[in-house]
Amino acid sequence: MDPATGSLVLKGAHVIDPEQGIDRVADVHVADGKIQFVGSRKLTANTKVVEVSGHYLSAGWIDIHVHAYGTLGFANPDTVGVYQGVTTFVDAGGPGIGVLDQFMELLSDLETTLYAGAFIRPMGLLGLNFIEGDVRTLGEVPITRWVDFAKQHRGLLRYIKCNAIGDYGPGTLKLTKGLAEILNLPLYMHIGEFQLQNPKHLLAPEAFRIAESGDMITHLYHGNLGQVIDESGKVLPIVRDAERRGVIFDLGFGGYNFSWNVAEKAFAQDLIPHTISSDLQQFNVVRPVKSLANVMSAMIRLGMTLPQVIERVTCNPAHALSLVDRAGSLKPGLPADITIFHVETGDYEISDCYTKVRKAEKQIIPVLTFKNGKRFEADLALAQEENNWFLQIAEDHVPSRARALSERQRSFLSALAARISSINWELSSAERLDIEKALELQEIFHEVRGKQGLPLKDALLSVYASFLDQNFTMQIGLLLLRLERRFALQRLRDVSGQRPMAA
Amino acid sequence: MTERPWHVLTGLRADSTKFPARAKLDGEGIVILRTKTGLRGVQRSCPHMQGTMMNAELIASDTMVRCPLHVFTFKLSDGKGVNCPGFRLKVYEIKEENGVLFGRSVS
Repeated sequence: MDPATGSLVLKGAHVIDPEQGIDRVADVHVADGKIQFVGSRKLTANTKVVEVSGHYLSAGWIDIHVHAYGTLGFANPDTVGVYQGVTTFVDAGGPGIGVLDQFMELLSDLETTLYAGAFIRPMGLLGLNFIEGDVRTLGEVPITRWVDFAKQHRGLLRYIKCNAIGDYGPGTLKLTKGLAEILNLPLYMHIGEFQLQNPKHLLAPEAFRIAESGDMITHLYHGNLGQVIDESGKVLPIVRDAERRGVIFDLGFGGYNFSWNVAEKAFAQDLIPHTISSDLQQFNVVRPVKSLANVMSAMIRLGMTLPQVIERVTCNPAHALSLVDRAGSLKPGLPADITIFHVETGDYEISDCYTKVRKAEKQIIPVLTFKNGKRFEADLALAQEENNWFLQIAEDHVPSRARALSERQRSFLSALAARISSINWELSSAERLDIEKALELQEIFHEVRGKQGLPLKDALLSVYASFLDQNFTMQIGLLLLRLERRFALQRLRDVSGQRPMAA
Repeated sequence: MTERPWHVLTGLRADSTKFPARAKLDGEGIVILRTKTGLRGVQRSCPHMQGTMMNAELIASDTMVRCPLHVFTFKLSDGKGVNCPGFRLKVYEIKEENGVLFGRSVS
């Protein structure tokens, strides 16, 4: 991306930068895509002025828990990024070590800065509540593979995620903690059993025991089994102990993970998340999450002040993710990542993930985003468009974009069809997902593209273009597994035999 | 192969019942939806997280039904999950004879 050049002043907004203790009307000066300073200065003739008085302005928001990649991701992740006031986000578990190469190839050109919160399972999150906590799906991955990856792609990984759920004992948590220590990264743990699951031994307390200073626990206010409060509504001592040790608590609103009832009781006892995150994904963007701004509005309704909310989407996540040298503040020299927003007053309703709705008087609405000085008009509706989140296999037609595939890509598809025609697979039910088969299909995909000498991205896009109208980025082995075998083979042959579009 | 039997949906009338409507079919709770091509039955709650299909949304020219909780979407022809592979919603054929409604499961 070309950073904006020249200088710019954002004039007259109420600036909130908790990292620098700024909470007043001030101008923000930007040059060459970086923050120059906050304050007044005589403007030169070349300086472009953007009048933003009447609005609030903060460092670009950081959402440490979204799903940009994989089975839960969006066709265009920027719709929950720069178009919603978010300039930096972390994919919370979408990729594991087995698909981080796919993640990087596919999502390297977003406008929003994307980091990976890699999942302990090599395939990453599967989006299936039945097996997300299943220790048996972790496979056997040499630690050296992780270490080598982290060395080669320094800075991409920001935490290692696991789910403290299911009836499989604390092995996964301890394994993930060990890996996080080796990689010198925070451990990031999901708490809260999925609804309809009822394990004998809850892992949430184990998560609070295992976490050390700097480790993170997400879904603080969830209302499922494994809550932070006891039956009488009192915050559990084990949660307080973790808080005292410096464990970071993250909100992670999500589609299942925020309860007004739990939030109000915990908040009244000063149990407050250090970071506010959305957990946005395909299955919650329409409701109840909608946007990070909506989640921030929920926190205002809960009783946080606006500066407290801004702190939790700027400097706090920047510290938690070791990003203070590049995000989370308006300090001179940092990238010009800026969010301009207003706080509307009216009659609003904010839903939790269950059936509870609270009336709210204030709503945070992003207006403008600057990413490295480049300007984006905020548009909360973009993320909600069905073609951004409704991942539907094009069963009754060949996606038109398949016509744009190159000769080499079509040749690859032909070879892939020939190679997998000897493999049998079936997705009989979500409960019995054959992850070994998904890994096998993925290995074959890599083997064929290796023989054909086709770059990874070209190979991935050729398969997506054969089956999907929009550019979703699902783990390739999982995508193949979810296709009905005969249909998949026929489609690959059809597309590989198509004549390319005229130049 | 014996033909799947039709069951009377007691208490419902094609001309006076408001749809969507709850019904019992052979002991199972179902919801009957009115689509552009006629009535169709589905299991009462979503197989994902038990969201009620009484509030489900008909989409794609009424060929699919979407749970209001987490937008899990199913085909009304065979109940297959569209954006949730491996999940399946039970679907029922509904017919009317002299104002009385009958239902039977789809295969």
